[in-house]
Amino acid sequence: MTTEGAAPERTLSGTIWSEVDRALSGITASAERAVLDVIVTIPRDEVIRGLKALKADEALAFDYLRCLTCVDNEADGMDVVYHLYSTEKRHNVTVKVHLEANDLFVDTATTVWRAANWYEREAAEMFGVRFRGHPDPRTLLMPEDMTDTFPLRKDHPLAEIEVLQGEGIAWGVEE
Amino acid sequence: MNTLFGLPVALDALIRVLIIVSVMTVVVMGLIYVERKVLARFQQRLGPTRTGPMGLLQSVADALKLVAKEDVRPTNADPWVFELAPFLVFVPTFLGFVVVPFALAWSVRDLDLGLFYILAVSSVNIVGWVMAGWASDNRYAMLGALRAVAQSISYELPLVMAMIAVAMVADSLNISEIVRGQAMVPNIVWQPLPFLMFFICMLAEMNRPPFDIPVGESEVVGGPYVEYSGIRWSMFFLAEYASMFIMALLGAAVFLGGSAWPFGEQLGLPWQILLTVAKAGLIIFVVIWTRASFPRLRIDQLMSFSWKLLLPVSFAQIMVNGLILVYDLPYGMSHTLLAVCSAAGVLFVASAINRSVTSPRPRPLLIPRSEAAR
Amino acid sequence: MTNALQPSEFEVQDIMINMGPQHPATHGVFRMVLQVDGEIVKDLIPHIGYMHRGAEKLSETMDFRQGIGFMDRTEYLAQFNAELGYVMAVEKLMDIEVPERAQWIRMILCELNRLSSHFMFTGAFGTDAGVFGTSFTYAFRWREEILDLFEEITGDRLMYAYFRPGGLAWEVTDNFEARVRQVLELSKQGIKDIDGLVTNNEIFKARTQGVGVLTKEQAIDWGTTGPVLRASGVQMDIRRDEPYLFYDQVEFDIPIGQNGDVYDRWCLRMEEMRQSVRIVEQCLTKLQPGPIQPERMPRMLRTPPGEVYIRTEAPRGEFGIYMVSKGGNRPHRLKVRSSCFANLQSLRDMSIGQYVADAVLALGSMDIVLCEVDR
Repeated sequence: MTTEGAAPERTLSGTIWSEVDRALSGITASAERAVLDVIVTIPRDEVIRGLKALKADEALAFDYLRCLTCVDNEADGMDVVYHLYSTEKRHNVTVKVHLEANDLFVDTATTVWRAANWYEREAAEMFGVRFRGHPDPRTLLMPEDMTDTFPLRKDHPLAEIEVLQGEGIAWGVEE
Repeated sequence: MNTLFGLPVALDALIRVLIIVSVMTVVVMGLIYVERKVLARFQQRLGPTRTGPMGLLQSVADALKLVAKEDVRPTNADPWVFELAPFLVFVPTFLGFVVVPFALAWSVRDLDLGLFYILAVSSVNIVGWVMAGWASDNRYAMLGALRAVAQSISYELPLVMAMIAVAMVADSLNISEIVRGQAMVPNIVWQPLPFLMFFICMLAEMNRPPFDIPVGESEVVGGPYVEYSGIRWSMFFLAEYASMFIMALLGAAVFLGGSAWPFGEQLGLPWQILLTVAKAGLIIFVVIWTRASFPRLRIDQLMSFSWKLLLPVSFAQIMVNGLILVYDLPYGMSHTLLAVCSAAGVLFVASAINRSVTSPRPRPLLIPRSEAAR
Repeated sequence: MTNALQPSEFEVQDIMINMGPQHPATHGVFRMVLQVDGEIVKDLIPHIGYMHRGAEKLSETMDFRQGIGFMDRTEYLAQFNAELGYVMAVEKLMDIEVPERAQWIRMILCELNRLSSHFMFTGAFGTDAGVFGTSFTYAFRWREEILDLFEEITGDRLMYAYFRPGGLAWEVTDNFEARVRQVLELSKQGIKDIDGLVTNNEIFKARTQGVGVLTKEQAIDWGTTGPVLRASGVQMDIRRDEPYLFYDQVEFDIPIGQNGDVYDRWCLRMEEMRQSVRIVEQCLTKLQPGPIQPERMPRMLRTPPGEVYIRTEAPRGEFGIYMVSKGGNRPHRLKVRSSCFANLQSLRDMSIGQYVADAVLALGSMDIVLCEVDR
């Protein structure tokens, strides 16, 4: 909480990256250091192989999926973010997969951790990312037939929804 | 046939029935008020306070509300069965009042097979439960009704067996005679085990906690009642409390000496009524107490408790009673033997219950923060 | 056509029972469809989303001070813990140092919040198990005392919005320490009461032991957190493993269950309540007068670009805030990693093959808050 090192020039030395790099041999991964964790970026085609390697590696043993979500970077596509943890070794790593805006799919992580099931369903309905091979590709939080709108995307309107709800509601359109 | 004021039998019966139904309905409403108040005290609450002095009119207000409510019947419900079901619960329950002795000479009709009769009619109402559950066309109701049948059948048997055991000792099936026979010592002294079984089975028969599985709020949301509203629902409700009252009176009469012990004969009618009310009140209080403090059992635990423990023990009790009574021993000796055997049975049941739940299992570990920190 | 009975006419059909969204045992608007064979659960399909209010989307439109209040509405039983995650994320991104006094007060409030939340659990779970309201009123009596204290400090009983990036909104009341001690004494009494009423009850034991078992491997694989995970024997407590606030300066025990069943979860929570009391007592001895906000706080909260995943140990388990900032005064993306969301996934594994009544208990033992699940 108190000191996290000098903020701008965080180096990767002394972090878990060296171990991760070793475990991910044969996979083109790059790393950067965020405020708390190391972020490892893996290409889309290799991500499941990479995650399996991270889980299987004895020194790393990332057996626990903390969180799986997406970040919409608008024109720059989307990131799928995996937060991993090892219940045995007690260390963290963040894995990122970059997706191009016109090509939103990635292989499902349910084959690695079953916990990914609901997270992926949520990410799929909220961002429109397809998780290939997902065992249960229904909507989770949204209505069952709402498969064409992706509310958490940045281009999804927030204020204009009021206008859609009825003719008498005028306070959504001020200008 | 001695009838009131020498009236014809039919008219006499009508008057008695009217008295019982109207008076008992009021008594049952009072019972609901008492339960709410007592339960509230167990739960650190006040209970009803707003309607009338100390909330005394709460039951009246509730009754008025229920009567005024719309009587809803689901579209898919079987109309006849759905509408008839409350009567099949209500009527048999109130039939039980016929033989219950309120004082030594006070019962509607003094039947020679009174004990048999009361057990028989009190088990008829299960038909109404099944009808309600089936006709509602609701899966919670169906599940609740099936649970009710299973439970009722399982607990009917030990209840009857317990009653047979005590009837052997009392040497009669006439409730009034059983009460008179206890003028010196109440039956609970000779037969504590049948009393324990009677109490447990009574709870199960009335679907009271911890045996409220058919109506369990958190599982089947009221069971067979779930689709009922208004007057029909209140009939179920009245029947439930009426049967609690009957069972309490029966327990007081058969085991606790009813209006005879102590000095019932000598001190006259007011004392007898006071005795009955106090003893029945005690049983009702314990029933409410149980409700306030026990969680609900699961259906398989309930069944195995009845079939694997209560029923064999009740058979054993009957056999032991028979063995002791057949040898025509002097009164003091035979009854002391009975009391000892029965008390041993109570200890056995208690230890069996205790053994079945206290299985050795690892306790949670407590790991100090600093110890495991790296 | 022959009149011979076809074998198919004897086929036993399972029935589907729909529990919820309005059902006394689903703690809000959770819905599960049970496929039952008599009383045995063959399959269970959970449905969530009835309480979805788009909290994550809305947070993107609110600046960092407005977002705090929204966290209360996300986790309405452990509000301080939820606020803490949010303000810590902002502090990490902006690199703000929080004064000591503010940290200690945060810790006291979070632990008291854990107490009140677990009191709520004991009450609600007792009702699930069929104690007619007694455990509920017992628990609420003591929870009420804690809420009164919170009200004195923050002015609100449920939606506190008291933590700020950098510290606290305002100084606590003058009699804060005395009041906390008083509340602790009452809570100890409350824990004893509930223990006496429920924990050693024979029927309660019979109902909960060996029910809803989750093995260690299953618990990790499903990503369960908090007491559910620890009951399965996994030693994971973020307060210990990645200490935030001053959890590395106080001494407390972490209860670890060995059976992974519902009864262990209950015992764990009871033990956690005792440990919370212990932590708060230690915090009180270390509380010193001082500032509650950094001296140089920017008037406008603007974070540099970056991202952070903050995890805190809320009463129900890991409460994560994943905040991505692209600069500016509001988050670009805010993901709330809800603890119940993760726990609820494992419900199916816990319930299959058990009785209907056990499925209800398994659900109750997770202590779900639907607002947090659906966000």
